[in-house]
Parts: sequence; structure tokens; C-alpha cells
Amino acid sequence: MIKLNTFALAVAALALVVGCSAPKEESASGEPKPSEAAPFKVALLTPGPVSDAGWSAMAYRGLKAIEADTGAQVNNQEAGGTQIKDAMRSYARQGYKLVFGHGFEYNEPAIEVAKDFPDTVFVSSSGGQTADNVGAFRFYLEQGFYLAGVMAAKMSKSGVVGMVGGDDVPSIRSTFKAFRAGAIDTNPAIQVKEVFTNSGQDIAKAKQATEKLIEEGADFVIHQANAAAQGVFDACAEKNVYAFGANADQNDNPSGRVIASAVILAEPAFVALAKKVKEGGYKGGIELMGMDIGAIDFVVNPAMKTVIPPDVLTLVAEIQAQIKDGRRTVPKDEF
Amino acid sequence: MSAVLAVLMYATPLALAALGETVVQKAGVIHIGIEGTMLAGAFFAMLATLATGSPWVGLGVGVLVGVTLALVSGAFALTLTVDQVVVGTAVNLLALGLTRTLFAMRFGASGELLSVQKVPSWQGLDAVMVVAVLLAVATHGVLFRTSWGLALRAAGEYPQAAEAAGFSVLRLRFAALVFGGAMAGLGGAYLSLGIAGSFADNMTAGRGFLAIAMVTFGRWKPVPVLGACLLLGWLDGLQFTFQAKGVQLPFQLFLALPYVAALLVLAGMGRGAHAPAALAIPFRRTR
Repeated sequence: MIKLNTFALAVAALALVVGCSAPKEESASGEPKPSEAAPFKVALLTPGPVSDAGWSAMAYRGLKAIEADTGAQVNNQEAGGTQIKDAMRSYARQGYKLVFGHGFEYNEPAIEVAKDFPDTVFVSSSGGQTADNVGAFRFYLEQGFYLAGVMAAKMSKSGVVGMVGGDDVPSIRSTFKAFRAGAIDTNPAIQVKEVFTNSGQDIAKAKQATEKLIEEGADFVIHQANAAAQGVFDACAEKNVYAFGANADQNDNPSGRVIASAVILAEPAFVALAKKVKEGGYKGGIELMGMDIGAIDFVVNPAMKTVIPPDVLTLVAEIQAQIKDGRRTVPKDEF
Repeated sequence: MSAVLAVLMYATPLALAALGETVVQKAGVIHIGIEGTMLAGAFFAMLATLATGSPWVGLGVGVLVGVTLALVSGAFALTLTVDQVVVGTAVNLLALGLTRTLFAMRFGASGELLSVQKVPSWQGLDAVMVVAVLLAVATHGVLFRTSWGLALRAAGEYPQAAEAAGFSVLRLRFAALVFGGAMAGLGGAYLSLGIAGSFADNMTAGRGFLAIAMVTFGRWKPVPVLGACLLLGWLDGLQFTFQAKGVQLPFQLFLALPYVAALLVLAGMGRGAHAPAALAIPFRRTR
């Protein structure tokens, strides 16, 4: 009797657990659109949860924009490592016309899988390889980080500025290099310090790391901490130093310490890509999405304009214009 | 002084969870579900604080969530004698999936940088930090200086003896598990309300597992366990300072330190404290 009970309960628990931990296949496509015979379907693969308020969230907003603008059926899931190819194949087999992988790590699997599915287009965020139905587009967020570096170096009183990273990955390293370049180009004597917490989710670690940067003298801090960014802002608020937002416009953060944000505007790029694929005009290639086409922006917090000297605003605007029309090239890594 | 308090603050979530786990393991139960318990505590504490505006209510809810999960774990692991590691894993997966789903439902699929009312502190010291230190001393006293503590330890060393002496091993282990759950829930709640003032998916980031390593590191004695957690908190801060100073040391080295320390303790054991003999062995009254 007891044995039977145990078994039943164990099965119930297992069902509960499996139900809760299975990768969320968000069927945002709930009601199928009354359209053509074969609906246009778009899938997104992200390296982490789309609730990260940063990298993956940005791509998810792009996917939702595709859904709203083109009426596509959309679906997304987390896939990393060995899961990537399986996920790509299963989407392609289900008739998805565009499979987007949000990271450079999706480029190589795409090349391999794409051979078997000529009717599906595979696009990754960064990555260097292309085929007829494989391409990449790369957000040039470095441009925004460069401008943040300019502003920080121009305004810093301590002569020290800092960067807090979550995961130590090439894309984050590259933006930090651009911030450093912007700072040093503006003031060669500036000290730029960086700390990685190894987690884009651990808010407490992000806060502790930021406090240590501030202890080392930093009075301007930029982050690449995704969902843990509130820890960075919180530390900046407690120690009364300025912070920069990243990926999204975080100027209205309740901490009240965000002076400007380096922003990716993913929606237009995603929608343009989807339209091209839908019309059958996609040719594999690598596109750079920068300030020139409005995919990257550097937004100064309007509420902070009183604390920013006018000459700093002028300088930032001037360099922003130079970046936009190509007179100034911001360094970036290839990965 | 403020540097010392900062170390204590960052160590408090880990210390609370580890102190709870010490008592649980002393009673012969290994509960690896504290990672999930902390995460659930952090999440529901944040929700309660958002709803009521009071971090104290949030802390209370964190404790309640911890107790609830402990009772559920106990029903499986103690009453039904299901493998304790399996039960703990189930709790961890349940908490991760549940908090992620509810977070997305409540705050949108792309997440939000939340800011909630924090536990008030005076010059960097707050009530929960004081409670953590007092509880370390209190649990040490109860475990090693009272007859109930003796019975509890007997349940972890040789449960048949505790049972023969008239104690219910099941009840002792349940009590320990509930205490451990409450502590892990409080630790999680303090993480979101005391330190972060916010919540993020999976924000506990392995602290529950680290707490289990700390129990070993502290040789199953509450005060040394607290010491181990403080040492770790200090090392964490030091690691960030090194990075900020540009000292070229791989930070993975620091991340591995607590586990290495726990391994060394396990390897060098012999004198003094040892693991409870009946740890993780289910107790059945009737054979």
C-alpha cells in the first residue's frame, strides 16, 4: 500500500517538475492568422531566458515586432551548445522560413543545418560565415559604448571610470574595449577599470563588484550585466556616482543615477530582415547594424542635462555625428 | 567597520541557508533543495513587498515559503522515504521553473529591472544581519548544550538510539527540515530585500549549493559554518578588488575556492567533527 502511494506521488512530482522546467516554447502565435495556406513562420533561439532585461530580451522584442508588423507566426526557445542544431532542424522541418540565432555561437551550426533546408533562412547575431540561406547581422553596440567612454572621461572628477560585466563573453569584452577607447581618446590619463561577476543574473554580486570599483575610485560606471544591472545601479545610488545604461534605454531607472544609455534598437532591423525573407529576396551576407541606420543610439538622460556641462553635451553630439556619417570608426572585435 | 559590515551583509544569505542546512544534516537529512528554496523565498518576498510596501512582510513571506517547501520535501523524503537527493533536485527544478514562469507572467516576457523597498539599515547594519549572527550562536547552543539537541544529533548519527530513547526520529527530522527551510527562505528573502532591492531570474546563482559546501567546510558546527561563510564573503570582495586593480588572476580560481576548501576538509577529516553517520539514510520505523 505504502509502496503504491510512494510511486503515485513520485510520478505526480515528476510530472509537476517536468511541466515546470521544460523549455518554454512560447506559443505567442496563439490564434493563427486567417491568411495564406502556409503561414509565414519565424523562430528565435536565445542563449538565455528572454526575461534578462538585456541581450536576449532585446531579440525577443525584435521577434514580437516581426509578429506585429508582418503577421508572422512566431516562436522562441532557449538553446545552447548541442541543443542548437536540434532546435534549428526541428524549426526548419516545421516549415519556419526564418530561424534567428541570437549570438555568434549560432553561426556555425546554421551553416551545417542550412544545407539540408534550402527553404529556410538562418541568421545569427554576429558570426563570420555565410551561405545562400545563411547570414549574420551584427549590432554595433560598441558605438554607444564609445560615446559613454567619451562622456565618462570628460566628466570624471576622480580620473577613474569603471565597467561591470556579467558573463565573460567576447561580445561583452568588445563593448568594454570600445568604452575604454572612447575614454582614452578623450583623456589619455584616464584610468579604466573592469570587473566581471561571471553571472548576468546575480544582482548581489553585481552590486558588490560595483562597490569595489567605486572603492577603487570610479565615479562613472557602465555595465553589461543584463538582469543583474539593478545591483550596479543600486551601488551607484548608494555611493552617489553616475551609471550608464546598456542595451535598452535605462535612463528612467528608479535609482536616479543613470546619466545616459547605450541603446540597441533591434525592432527595425528584425522587421526589415523578416520582410526581406518573406518576399524571398534574402541573400546570405553579413550586415553591420550601427548608428548610420538607426540601430544603435546613445541617449542622454533628459533629467540629467542640468548636471552635464554644455561643452560635454556638445562634444558627445559632435562625435556621435562623426560616427554616424563614418568620419570616426569605433574599434570592434570580430568573433 | 563598514568594510566588516559589508562582508557580513554579502555573507548573510549564504550564512542563513548554511546554518539551516547544518541543523538539517545534523538530524541525518541532506537537503539539496535549499537552492530552490532560496530562489522561491527571494521571489515571493519581492512580490509581497511590492504588494504591501513592507519589507518585513516580505521577509515573513520568505520564511513561510521556505517552511512550505520544507513540509512538501519532508512528506516525500521523510514520510515516504524517497531518495533525499531526488526530492531536493525536484524542489530546485520546481522553484526555478515556477519563479521564472510567474516572473514572466507578472512583469512581462522580456523582464524588468525591479526596484523594491529594502530592509532598513543603520550605518550598514540591519536586523537580519544581527539575527544571522545570533542564530549561529543559538543553534550552536541548542545543538550541543540541550537534550533536545542531543536527540536531534542522535537522529543523524544513530536514529535507532534516538527512537529507543523515546524520541520520534520522524518528528525530529521534520523539525530540522522545517527550520532549514525557514532559514533558506529567509536567506533568499534577504538576498532580494536586504541586498539587491530587486529580483532577477535565478538570482540565487548557486548560493544554495555553496551553502551545502559551507556546512562541510564548517564541519557541521554552526559557529564555524558562519565563519566559513564570512571568509567566503570576504574572498568574494577581495576577488573583485583584485580585478578592479587589474591583477591578472583568473577569477574562476576564486569561484572554485570554497569547493576546494570543502574537499580539503572532507579529505583531512578524522580528528574532531565528522559527517553525521546516518546522513541521507532514510529512517523507517518498521523494517
